Amino acid sequence: MATASDNLRRARPLLGTFVEVTTAGAARSEMNAAIDAAFEAVADVHRLMSFHDDDSDVSRLNREAWLRPVEVHAWTFRVLEAVVEMHHRSKGVFDVTIAPALQAMGLLPRRHDDPPIAAQARLFDAIELREGKIVRFRHPDVRIDLGGIAKGFAVDRALEALRRFGIGSGMVNASGDLAAFGQEPQTIHLRHPRDPRLVIGYVDVADEALASSARRFGPLQSADTTASAIIDPGTGTPTDAIDGATVRAPSCMIADALTKIVMISGTDVVEWLEHYHASALLVSTDGDVRITPDWHNAVHLAA
Amino acid sequence: MSWIRYTLPAAAIMSIASPAYAVQYLSIEEAQKQAFPSATHFTEVQAGRVWKAEAGGHVAGFFVFDRVVGKHLYIDYAVALTPSGAVHSVEILQYRESYGGEIRSASWLAQFVGKTSGSALKINGDIRNIAGATLSSTHVTEGVKRVLAAYGNRLR
Repeated sequence: MATASDNLRRARPLLGTFVEVTTAGAARSEMNAAIDAAFEAVADVHRLMSFHDDDSDVSRLNREAWLRPVEVHAWTFRVLEAVVEMHHRSKGVFDVTIAPALQAMGLLPRRHDDPPIAAQARLFDAIELREGKIVRFRHPDVRIDLGGIAKGFAVDRALEALRRFGIGSGMVNASGDLAAFGQEPQTIHLRHPRDPRLVIGYVDVADEALASSARRFGPLQSADTTASAIIDPGTGTPTDAIDGATVRAPSCMIADALTKIVMISGTDVVEWLEHYHASALLVSTDGDVRITPDWHNAVHLAA
Repeated sequence: MSWIRYTLPAAAIMSIASPAYAVQYLSIEEAQKQAFPSATHFTEVQAGRVWKAEAGGHVAGFFVFDRVVGKHLYIDYAVALTPSGAVHSVEILQYRESYGGEIRSASWLAQFVGKTSGSALKINGDIRNIAGATLSSTHVTEGVKRVLAAYGNRLR
């Protein structure tokens, strides 16, 4: 076990979950400052991209981007560029305009000016990006939620903040969406998507990102899992194609977004994974595990 | 490229099951220093729960320790308040997760006392980092609101 002098781990409630930052290989005061900076970066992403906060870029877009062009923060624009690119590449499977479906499930709050849920039609390519970080929506009913990608982006920004300090290694873990740097690989155990008490195996992570999606569970209530919060834009309802997915990619934003695509499309995602230099592990509804061949040697399954 | 398929033996999954998982992040003393690095003195205002942080004779803020208790889970956290009673920071001190009955017993809780930061407790096996289902921090957020309601205006 690491001793307190060469390892510092802290956690804060951010992004609706627990964000944990681990550092090693520096003086304690330096690691504390680095962790503070990492949490600050996550809090900045939270402020910009929260659906719940009226002052966030996301809320301003949802209120105004149909009426007039809206300028957003450079970070929000970067996420939206990735959103639009992945929306096109996945032929609409990755879609951030599913906020009304999450509202209908009670997972996101509704506002007085939101359109009636029954009126929602499938909207393809609803977001227009212009020069100068300007965003416009192409339909009055568009409501976006960046919950499927912003957490990964926040992890990337936090890791970037850590790297600016002279520390040997670091990891940021936002409840399973994580990224690490440094010479020591970090061992990550993977929960079984149907029963969080069980571990299906582990994987070592070094200088890369990992994101997982699964059924939701609340350890304060019980170990029982519920349906996923990932909406299949084709049906407007939670996906049940597979039970869980873990994606490894160079950035956590890409890994986070790809888990949504894998959860919806199952095994039909290989060319998209290859495009993003990503690997994946998925747990089927029958309990079988499937791993892309470029990754299966790195994943240690329970045997 | 095609997927490689594995069937996990149920017995193998069960054998490495982790009924309890816990991480010790910071002790109360460490969290106090982290929240108020300039403070020279912490005075206990309410035993084991509220401290006043002082720096060079003036009040730097207040430090409130609290615990969220769920069905099978305790999370220790601390809220640092500014001298005017606003939230300065919220830090998790200890995260515990268990689905067995052991977490309710005093001896199970006692094993965490006095642990210093950085020690991920290896209660069952060797699990330091875990990924999978997303955990909700709603209960901590609600706890912070209760702390604010209870102390935000009272500690001046």
